[in-house]
Amino acid sequence: MVRPGLFEGYDTGGFYDEMFAAPGQPRLSYAKLVQKFATLAPGHFEERRKLADLSFLIQGITFTVYSDGRGTERLFPFDLIPRIIPNSEWQHIERGLSQRVMALNLFLHDIYGAQRILQDKRIPRSLVYSCPHFRREVIGVEVARGIHTHICGIDLVRDSKTREFCVLEDNVRTPSGVSYVLENRIVMTRTFPDAFEDLEVLPVNHYPSELSRILRSLSPRGESEAQIVLLTPGIYNSAYFEHSFLAQQMGIELVEGRDLIVDGGVVYMKTIRGLTRVDVIYRRVDDEFLDSLTFRADSVLGVPGLMGAYRAGNVALANAVGNGVADDKAIYAYVPEFIRYYLGEEPVLRSIETYICAKPDDLAYVLDHLPQLVVKAVGESGGYGMLIGPASERKRIAEFGERIRANPRNYIAQPVVPLSRVPSYDEAEQCIAGRHVDLRPYCLYDGDKVTIVPGGLTRVALQKNSLVVNSSQGGGSKDTWVLRGEG
Amino acid sequence: MLSRIAESLFWLARYIERAEGTARILDVNYHMLLEQSQHSYHLRWEPLIVMAGEEDRFRKLYGEVNAANVFEFLAFRPDNPSSILQCISKARENARTIRDRISREMWEDINGLFHLANSFVPRDEIAAGPHRFCDKIKFGAHRFHGVTDSTLPHDEGWHFLRVGWSLERAEMTARLVDVQYHNLLDGPPAANALDNHQWMAVLRSVGAYEAYHRQYHPPIEPEKVAEMLILNPQHPHSIRFSATEVQAGLRAVSGSMFGTYTNEAERIAGRLVERLSYDRISDIFQQGLHGYLSDVLRMCGSIGEDIARTYFYYAVVA
Repeated sequence: MVRPGLFEGYDTGGFYDEMFAAPGQPRLSYAKLVQKFATLAPGHFEERRKLADLSFLIQGITFTVYSDGRGTERLFPFDLIPRIIPNSEWQHIERGLSQRVMALNLFLHDIYGAQRILQDKRIPRSLVYSCPHFRREVIGVEVARGIHTHICGIDLVRDSKTREFCVLEDNVRTPSGVSYVLENRIVMTRTFPDAFEDLEVLPVNHYPSELSRILRSLSPRGESEAQIVLLTPGIYNSAYFEHSFLAQQMGIELVEGRDLIVDGGVVYMKTIRGLTRVDVIYRRVDDEFLDSLTFRADSVLGVPGLMGAYRAGNVALANAVGNGVADDKAIYAYVPEFIRYYLGEEPVLRSIETYICAKPDDLAYVLDHLPQLVVKAVGESGGYGMLIGPASERKRIAEFGERIRANPRNYIAQPVVPLSRVPSYDEAEQCIAGRHVDLRPYCLYDGDKVTIVPGGLTRVALQKNSLVVNSSQGGGSKDTWVLRGEG
Repeated sequence: MLSRIAESLFWLARYIERAEGTARILDVNYHMLLEQSQHSYHLRWEPLIVMAGEEDRFRKLYGEVNAANVFEFLAFRPDNPSSILQCISKARENARTIRDRISREMWEDINGLFHLANSFVPRDEIAAGPHRFCDKIKFGAHRFHGVTDSTLPHDEGWHFLRVGWSLERAEMTARLVDVQYHNLLDGPPAANALDNHQWMAVLRSVGAYEAYHRQYHPPIEPEKVAEMLILNPQHPHSIRFSATEVQAGLRAVSGSMFGTYTNEAERIAGRLVERLSYDRISDIFQQGLHGYLSDVLRMCGSIGEDIARTYFYYAVVA
């Protein structure tokens, strides 16, 4: 049972706390919420927490764990205490993200086209060509309206030391999680309606219609006839809920690879009335599984011949094929350079200092300082293939050192960023305590401008002292509020 | 509509219907036996396994045919593909692959039923008897029908659901009558004395007991029970009613005019409805009930296969 004074004795622990400037002193943006929580009757918080969990279970917003042989369904933990961002801060974030998305798109257009940036030697050719997600197969392919990065999820963190938001990584392949942004808000307004009173929280529910508008604009047969589908790997994919959710919200067909067929360079779907032409595919299947004739021959998730139809311009794919070269964690270090090179601007959001192990000097430094660094495999996501030096035993650090030596191009290292914290419910200790968070806003690019639903997904590392927020590693999420004003 | 979606709707409905039918039969059979002496005990559980078509599997798993074993096998066993839990789990799996195409209410309902069914502890339920569990399943299936009817547009997807559960229901009733008839009339003389009681149970297991009494005078006669369950035009569990529903659903999808057909499934459904509409129960007994019902089951099987050929499968395009 949580005590009546929810935040009594709360300790900010020397980190930047999003809610409290100092113990007992809420920031302006949180002042009203803290007051609301303080007046909650004992047991109410607990009661509403259970209500929220039940709502997720009944809606089947779960992911499946197969380790016990039965296929147990787990909830992606939802923390009831929201994360609040005042408007001025959000505007700054929005500027920085828009700039970054444009630069990433221009980089992709260039690298699969004229390759000016390589000729001008602003990034080493070898670094680009050695990237596992660089797809030679799409060099020279004209993508619809020049858009590669239709949907980006860019991970931000607030550094406790400098108090500013910085970019931790870019996700420009098939970023997931936006359904949680929308569902979290729905559940939050149902379980805690009173928390929204007096606070003008900006809405997020226009995301599907905005995405739908962009997808429609890509149709090779024009917008009025556009047949748009969402391609999912199927129900065993951990993001399947999101795929079906988005398809339903946009009113488009949710298809699996086996529902599609390519004939004469045109993609069709198999319906009970025969074949129907498909114009735009919002694909949530990774590049290497898209087409067994072009990429992995053993893939049954994709559509044989799809790349032929794509090259011929008979079907549009979102996101474009080959985007992985832009969110490679070594290429990440060059994004500020892309912003300067393509846009002639200085980056609004700082990137984290990055050591590229492919460079001999960086490699030497990294190997000497492993216990102080975070090491990441360049092509991985989801918190896999990672070493957090300060939290790891010597044996594991030594092992990781060997792996890096064996394949330096595959690794980068960064200093440990002391992530900011938000008060969160700790189920094990049944109390409210500070837990580290990140923020993944979802950016939609229509070729002219970038649209970002206010806020995004706040992921929280629910385990004490943990810095890893991924759901596969014990992370949860929070509803994220951007205010119309400052508080 | 995508072929895969039509197929999932069809099977979603069939599995729900199968779970409900199994729950009904288990429940009724158990309660009937409570009021009977033990001498015919074995005889009364055997038909349930036969109806499920799972005799071989049952024999491999159990030594004895008794209430506890049959209940466990038909309700909970994960290795029995037609156990109630397996049916509900497969119904939900189908619903999950098309959750963007069914109503949110339908999904939440079937998902809730799945979690509810899995919250029962088999050991406790076997000790308590099937009523508590089976009642929840029956109620859950009924509610799913209601939720579907009132939240899903009655478009072609709805007709695939309708065809699915009607076809399953026709088959279940045909098997019920076939097995029980064979069993009751060919059993030892001692069992025949209990007929009345047993036929009441058969009627109850498809919810036709009250309807029977409105239509016929006592005592309960086997021929009349058969007539009710095979030929009655109005009772939702009769074979004729279910076959008519199958035909109507198929026509609604294809747009075929009355008296015409556009695929093999419709042609066979039409023949089946015709036979059930104009055959008299005396004709059926004259040609042999078992043979007649075997024909019905064969035709139902062909309808299912041809629906798949017409709407679900694509020949590989070279």
